[in-house]
Amino acid sequence: MKRNFTGGLVALAVFALPAFADTATVPADSWAPTTFDLDNGMQVVVIPDHRAPVVTHMVWYKVGAVDEAPGKSGIAHLFEHVMFQQTDTLAPGEFDQIVSRNGGQSNAFTSWDYTAYFERVAKEQLGTMMELEADRMVNLVIDDDPEGAFISERDVVKEERRQRIDNNPGVILQEQVLSELWKGHPYEITVIGNMDEVAALTPEDGLNFYHEYYSPENAILVVAGDVTPEEVRTLAEATYGQIVPTGTAHGQRKWTNVPLLTADDEITYSDPKVRQPVWSRYYNGVSNIRTPREAYALEVGLEILGGGMTSRLYQSLVEQQKVAISAASYAWSELHDEGPAVLSASPAPGVSMDDLEAAMMVEVAKALETGFTEAEVVRARNSLAASAIYSRDSQSTMANIFGSTLAMGGTIESVLSYPDDVRSITPEEAIAAVRTIFGPDRHFIEARLLPEEGEN
Amino acid sequence: MNYATLAVGLLAATSLTACANLNPPPVEPETVVEMVAAPEPAPLEVTVHSGDFAEIQQFTTPGGASVWLVSEPSIPILSLQMAWKGGEAADPDGLEGLGDAVAYNMNEGAGDLDSLAFQTRMEELNMSFGCEVSGDWTSCSASMLTDNDEDAMSLIATAFADPRFDEGPFERFRREQQVGLKTRETNPGFLAWRAQSQALYPDHPYARMKTEESVAALTPELAKEQMRKLMVKDRLLVTAVGAVTPEELTPMIDEVIAGLPDTSELPETADIVLPELEPADPIVVDLPQPQTLVQFTGPAMKRDDPDFFTAYVLNYTYGGGGFESRLMQTLRVEQGLTYGIYTGINAGEHIQTWTGSGQTKNESAGDFIKGIKIEMQDFVDNGVTEEELADAKAYLTGSYPLGFDSNAKIAGQMMGVRQDELGIGYFDSRNDMVRAVTLEDVDRVAKEYLDPSSYLFIAVGQPEGITDEEFETEDASVEAAE
Repeated sequence: MKRNFTGGLVALAVFALPAFADTATVPADSWAPTTFDLDNGMQVVVIPDHRAPVVTHMVWYKVGAVDEAPGKSGIAHLFEHVMFQQTDTLAPGEFDQIVSRNGGQSNAFTSWDYTAYFERVAKEQLGTMMELEADRMVNLVIDDDPEGAFISERDVVKEERRQRIDNNPGVILQEQVLSELWKGHPYEITVIGNMDEVAALTPEDGLNFYHEYYSPENAILVVAGDVTPEEVRTLAEATYGQIVPTGTAHGQRKWTNVPLLTADDEITYSDPKVRQPVWSRYYNGVSNIRTPREAYALEVGLEILGGGMTSRLYQSLVEQQKVAISAASYAWSELHDEGPAVLSASPAPGVSMDDLEAAMMVEVAKALETGFTEAEVVRARNSLAASAIYSRDSQSTMANIFGSTLAMGGTIESVLSYPDDVRSITPEEAIAAVRTIFGPDRHFIEARLLPEEGEN
Repeated sequence: MNYATLAVGLLAATSLTACANLNPPPVEPETVVEMVAAPEPAPLEVTVHSGDFAEIQQFTTPGGASVWLVSEPSIPILSLQMAWKGGEAADPDGLEGLGDAVAYNMNEGAGDLDSLAFQTRMEELNMSFGCEVSGDWTSCSASMLTDNDEDAMSLIATAFADPRFDEGPFERFRREQQVGLKTRETNPGFLAWRAQSQALYPDHPYARMKTEESVAALTPELAKEQMRKLMVKDRLLVTAVGAVTPEELTPMIDEVIAGLPDTSELPETADIVLPELEPADPIVVDLPQPQTLVQFTGPAMKRDDPDFFTAYVLNYTYGGGGFESRLMQTLRVEQGLTYGIYTGINAGEHIQTWTGSGQTKNESAGDFIKGIKIEMQDFVDNGVTEEELADAKAYLTGSYPLGFDSNAKIAGQMMGVRQDELGIGYFDSRNDMVRAVTLEDVDRVAKEYLDPSSYLFIAVGQPEGITDEEFETEDASVEAAE
């Protein structure tokens, strides 16, 4: 195992941008985004980055796995695949062919909260990319031949599920745990869907989904790179601007607060492929969108508790007691609804899971009791704020930050003020956030990933 | 994600663009005063290569570092990469893992700072610094804010001049390695690599693996000794991109490298000549999981081989071009057998292979391998079409600028060019090399390199339908059906 870039950079910076003293006075040539709406309701965001003659063009739809009807899990993601197939004007495969012939790279991704399509391309090709993306927003053809493309794409998604989840014992266990944590909430089923439900999806399901969610007023255009807002406006009005809203996109999302766990639970998964046990506890966490202040405070607190090599958990369990080879804490706060806050560790050779658990919980209790020092908090929040500056090195990262935030109903201002906001988190707020999440009135799901009996 | 990332980024020939010698700006008197303890610096001679994708400033510091720098003032950060030829292949027999130990310990304490203090200092500076080792190379990278880049560089300097290699972090390294030795046994990628290296070059240093014994034999003293062999001034390559000028960067680089030895002797690595393979059943490595990883490998050519660019362009149509490749088109789009299948060329200095891989459910492993072989044979028999070649060239040339849109990517691109000794004008001539590839050459290279009967197939999982008898029979019927 090689280890590369350890240090003060925080790996997962979801909302991460440098601060402005005053957004109103930002000079026109800076990297500040510009936003406007087309007449049909489609929002446009332009993020300038003039270092290279390249653009990242994205369309975000305000629909994700959270919106799927009961029994139709996986439709948001399968539909995303189908979007690459055929339109009234493009034969199967032609979309990718045109993008590639123009030197572009295209892809898409589906989350619980949104679906996004993107092309990265030399700036001269931006107009062509908009034509393609606008075309499939209204002209998609779904093949209802029982031997046809929709069905073979369903097989592809089943292989994707095997590759992402079913091959990997740790991911299989995580799927079970998250399903329990989100029981009764629309996040309960993983984005790619249950294998049986995916296998039963039909072309008609795809068509219904398309009509319900794919329309300009339910979409956001994000362009990052070597363009001006004026250039984007002209091209967007000529393409997306020509699309008449379907009138069937209701814009209603199925988001709701995640109910707190009411009892502790333990899930154990053994598999012959597991050679190193992993212990985790999943607690109810928070959401950046719903409660930003608490979410940033938790981020700072979990950074100090278990965010890296200098953290309390790592120093105690790995460095001093040598009972673990890893020990960490983190939260998924970037979903619209509350994700998990997680404690996780993997035992050193010869250490039992029970002893590891005891050592973890002693250290957590110690932190909850004593709180954090000013120095720890300053270091953690500065690291988080600095990650915003590093994010600016990637136009794709910038496009993703703004696109995902807006697709979940957040604001550009919340992204811009993140560094200042996180720097203003006090030691009292950080410890309060952690004490709440791991409080005595809170419950958890414990997950134990184990080798099969008789294995090493 | 829906589509896996396209394999991008290899390269080709050398040619120089016009260079301009720029005089360094006059040194401000204040600067001289601040540097009073240092010897008077000689004027820095900077050669500027104004290319299509980057303006590269090339210079050698007074301390002896050869640097390629792109000044990019728009973001207050600096990306730094350092590389030395020589890596894991230089591990002595019985001490496999020694190079890894060196890399691991480079940010685990230096000078007065123990591991925790060093890591804490990096956090305070909001910087990152770490090293890694591959078969042939030892590399270190750093990112820092230009606000405190001098402090960040000073910290890196202590890591090179006075690394601690304390017993504590070293013992942790050994513990992690012992766990890694267990977990690799169920890692399909590792199992495929091991089967391939044992089949193709079992006696070469590239086929050596860490073992419990070799890891247990590693010591901080041995690692420190090896570090002084791997990281030396005369083999050092530096690339940097960020909000600095050559004049600002030079004293920082010289501080960083001051503690390195001038030179060292490392063992030569022998070239690998792949054996001629007879048609054979796939090698099966049993792994209890629902999918089978299929990996297939044949010979390729060196980076400076006249056929390299032809093969690179062919690879796009073969399996490198995502949805535009025939393997993806047939096995994913038409047959729904896989989420993705890709091929790529490894044009290393001592080993050259053309390798592809993809995963399919165990039940369809036989069909999957058959499908791959049919596509390969079609390249051998019929080559590619004019349209396919034009598409490949259009993508490979048109997408090239996408590799230059961030500081980190540019620093990496420059390091790749330096490691492969492609010349500072490479970025500007590369697209012409792609365009110059002819259909005749592509068809010839396809015939020479893509014959499935000379390929090694490895199947990791619990594949069905690939036993000798079954396979031969079905294979024949498929060919008849075509």
